[in-house]
Amino acid sequence: MMLHLFRWTLLGMVGIATTTLGCTRWIDVIPSSTGQQESAAQSIPSDERVPLVMDTFRMQQNGAPQNPSSEVERRILNTVQETRLFSTLIPLGGSPSSPGEKVVVARITFDETIDPHSGTSAWKGFVIGASLFLLSPVIELDYDYAAQASLELERWDGQVKRYAARSAGTVHYNLFGATPIMIDELKGQVTEACLNELMTQLVLDTNLYMASSAPLPDTTLRTVTVKARKPEAAPSALPIIPVSTAPVP
Amino acid sequence: MSFRFVLIVLMSALAVNAQAAEGSPTITVGTQEVGLTAGYMLPHRLTADHTTKQQGPALMPSWMMTLTNPLGDSRLRGQVSIGAEMVYIQFREPILTHGVGFTPKIKYTFVALDRIRPYAEFAGGPFWTDLGGRIPEESTQFNFVLTAGVGVSWFITPQTSFNVGYRFHHISNAGTRYPNLGLNASLPFGGFSFYF
Repeated sequence: MMLHLFRWTLLGMVGIATTTLGCTRWIDVIPSSTGQQESAAQSIPSDERVPLVMDTFRMQQNGAPQNPSSEVERRILNTVQETRLFSTLIPLGGSPSSPGEKVVVARITFDETIDPHSGTSAWKGFVIGASLFLLSPVIELDYDYAAQASLELERWDGQVKRYAARSAGTVHYNLFGATPIMIDELKGQVTEACLNELMTQLVLDTNLYMASSAPLPDTTLRTVTVKARKPEAAPSALPIIPVSTAPVP
Repeated sequence: MSFRFVLIVLMSALAVNAQAAEGSPTITVGTQEVGLTAGYMLPHRLTADHTTKQQGPALMPSWMMTLTNPLGDSRLRGQVSIGAEMVYIQFREPILTHGVGFTPKIKYTFVALDRIRPYAEFAGGPFWTDLGGRIPEESTQFNFVLTAGVGVSWFITPQTSFNVGYRFHHISNAGTRYPNLGLNASLPFGGFSFYF
């Protein structure tokens, strides 16, 4: 009777340990996204701010071009907005309200690198299943995600400045802790860290994007006269170049 | 009666499909699947020593976890998932008996056809049945069940699929006691899965 009770108690404890320890997951992000948010915000007079116009936005995933995600675009614009460097942010396809005003043109590239370790996960899954899930607390699965953002800003006078930032992270999880939400959490944290780093670089150049930093380029209208070209000489009128046909010795 | 039930289920599925919001199922790493499958076991007597015509309905609730994003780029592009399944079989022949098993399961799902996804699966685990000891093929009540099969999931919504398929079942005690000829059977099945 005691042996029976002991056996079931042991089995229950193993079951509880498997389902609780097998539910853990954690995320490592390099660099960390915490503590950078506050330093990115700037306070400059509103009359010194100029609009930022999004010119191009390119996305790649594992090196393959993707359709630009409006969600990512919005997120980048929100992060730029938080720096308070610019008066308005004009998304793709938009144009400034008054032509000829000082604007900063932005070109953004966002590269994602995803490594779900599929082969390893499949083998580990096979081993976990073969062990009747008893090994699920000790076998760890991984999912890697890296983001690289580059921002090219062209000032109204033609001066171009480039910024780039990169962040990477890994979610480590046990089988019962897996959920699609953890992938979203990982992507969110990595993207946040990457954009924070980018904005930290951007705010160092605050003076570069203040309206008083440079005058508008001279926009005086110039007249260009285009005349029709004279007709070219007929082929027969071309000078004849003598050609020797003698064989080479 | 059962034919009418299947017809109603199919018509309901078609109606749901017609009303469902268009969109491909988005099954990624960590997506879980809970399913309920039912089928009918039909015997295979593979040798002259096999005499038992065991048959009866089977019920298989299951849970699966997607482990990989789609692998590969060809028509064989697919995802691996692992999980577990409870197997209940009511043997109506030769004697009314029951069998219950727990089988870890691995599945490879082909994703190239979008909403129609063929799959191959393999499962194995302990199986208890009171049919054991009452038939010449099996001497013990504690056995193991091994299954291998193929099926097709038809996603009637991005989170719901209707599944049909075929499995080959083998039940034996791994040589722990003799006789151990084993019981072999075909198991055509159908069911539903929900993804979250």
